[in-house]
Amino acid sequence: MAIRFRQVSYSYPGYGFGTYEAIRDVTLDIAATGEFIALVGQTGSGKSTLAQHMNALIFPTEGTVEIFGSVVGPKRDKNVKYNELRRKVGLVFQFPEYQLFEETVEKDVMFGPTNFGIPEEEAREMARKALELVGLGSQYLRRNPLNLSGGEKKRVSIAGILAMDPAILVLDEPTSGLDPRGKKTMMDLFRSIRGATGKSIVVITHDMDLVYEYMDRVLVLDRGRLAFDGTPDDLFRRNDLERLHLDHPSTIRVLKAVSEKLGIDLDVYQKDIASAVRELAKAVRP
Amino acid sequence: MSFLDIRNVSFSYNQKRMVLKHIDLGVDKGEWVAILGHNGSGKSTLAKTIVGLLHPQEGAITVGGIVLSDETAYDVRRKVGIVFQNPDNQFVGVTVRDDIAFGMENLSVPRADMLEKIRFYADKVGMSDFLDKEPSALSGGQKQRIAIAGILAMQTEMIIFDEATSMLDPSSRRELMDYIRELHDEGLTIVMITHDIEEALWADRLVVLKDGAVFADDTAENLFKRPDAFREAYLELPAALRIYYEMEAAGDMTPPLAETLWRLGSGR
Repeated sequence: MAIRFRQVSYSYPGYGFGTYEAIRDVTLDIAATGEFIALVGQTGSGKSTLAQHMNALIFPTEGTVEIFGSVVGPKRDKNVKYNELRRKVGLVFQFPEYQLFEETVEKDVMFGPTNFGIPEEEAREMARKALELVGLGSQYLRRNPLNLSGGEKKRVSIAGILAMDPAILVLDEPTSGLDPRGKKTMMDLFRSIRGATGKSIVVITHDMDLVYEYMDRVLVLDRGRLAFDGTPDDLFRRNDLERLHLDHPSTIRVLKAVSEKLGIDLDVYQKDIASAVRELAKAVRP
Repeated sequence: MSFLDIRNVSFSYNQKRMVLKHIDLGVDKGEWVAILGHNGSGKSTLAKTIVGLLHPQEGAITVGGIVLSDETAYDVRRKVGIVFQNPDNQFVGVTVRDDIAFGMENLSVPRADMLEKIRFYADKVGMSDFLDKEPSALSGGQKQRIAIAGILAMQTEMIIFDEATSMLDPSSRRELMDYIRELHDEGLTIVMITHDIEEALWADRLVVLKDGAVFADDTAENLFKRPDAFREAYLELPAALRIYYEMEAAGDMTPPLAETLWRLGSGR
């Protein structure tokens, strides 16, 4: 396992009086390769805090996080190379586009590798490859990142992390603010990065349609606790989603409503529009 | 002339690429208009030109009879406020109270008057218990409500929501939408920029932007009858209607199914 959480709790200090416990007693494992994980839960449930533990950006208040063999606990350990861990687990923040600052796309993506001491020519090559992985061709290299669209900016910032060749990619709400087509493009992109590199990818999202259609595994946080760890199929078949503050994906919602309204038997658990249509056609054909 | 009247407005950041191309658009008092469009279609740029944050190279914008210019920008901002996507980018005060006061301070509202208005509008958005809290301690939905209170306190007649719900989780989103509906019922004019087609269904009218130009301007019911237009504008129909059109194309539709899917999709 690449990342192991063992009974991890984290409290933010000084929130008014006392502390605010953002995550509580979380235990979970993430493999280095082949995983495509959604991290979901309502605002304030601890998703971002959990993600920031994955590359030792913050240290647990209690418990341990083992990242590629290095144990990160409440106290800083001189023998652990934290910077190395942060390079191994690439964390893309929410709204990374606000962090673009160079004059060209190329320079922005080169910033990380150059910062880690990689020679300029090599960094340039890494940047070019990373940009290609996110679907931005060479015509983007000289453009000013500030003049790009929201979706393009997001892709430039993801390329900036990919250029450092992390072993695992963790993204905090990479699809928020994108139009439906942009969301799909972004998810297809992650799928293809995973296909091309085998790297595990963790995505924080509120979009249950994307979770159902794309992801293999879902982690649900509810007020800081890990309330579910399993497949989207198992999650959406539960009848206590409301208690977890989650919605059903739209295919399930539509099929459930049709089934009730018309009194027909349907397997409502269909991941996308095409399979929903097939199921419905089967039911209504004479 | 409409309350908000946009005539032949064009804008470009760098002269090379036009972000807005000859936009003509009117919004009447008390109306609720949704603006939809793909990323980069010019929605947010349009919103910023309406409140005078960006200056179009061509055309004219009139709000409540005032023609927008550098000299009138302050007067226009009293009539129309804007709530942005990221609630964290619009907070300036140390406490919620300071934040609601900020806009009024710029308008030199007398202090006694201001305190009363803060109480009134904080209560109106259901946040009067939070006046002494730090904005950073609030949830996303609560932050957006504080932003709305600050705008309402300036006696604004119209609010532009620029993807204001896109960062919220489903329950805060529903709560904010219910609240916007209440404000609309009380007569507030609403322009809502959104990617969420189900949210756009709450509006009286949908304006679709494509590549910086107005591509369509109609009711949801009428627009939904043109699935090709939706595809052309890179938008997605609600799931129920995507199923509707695919069932129809496959020849598997029955009248009761058609009616049910259409109702589900168009929110009727």
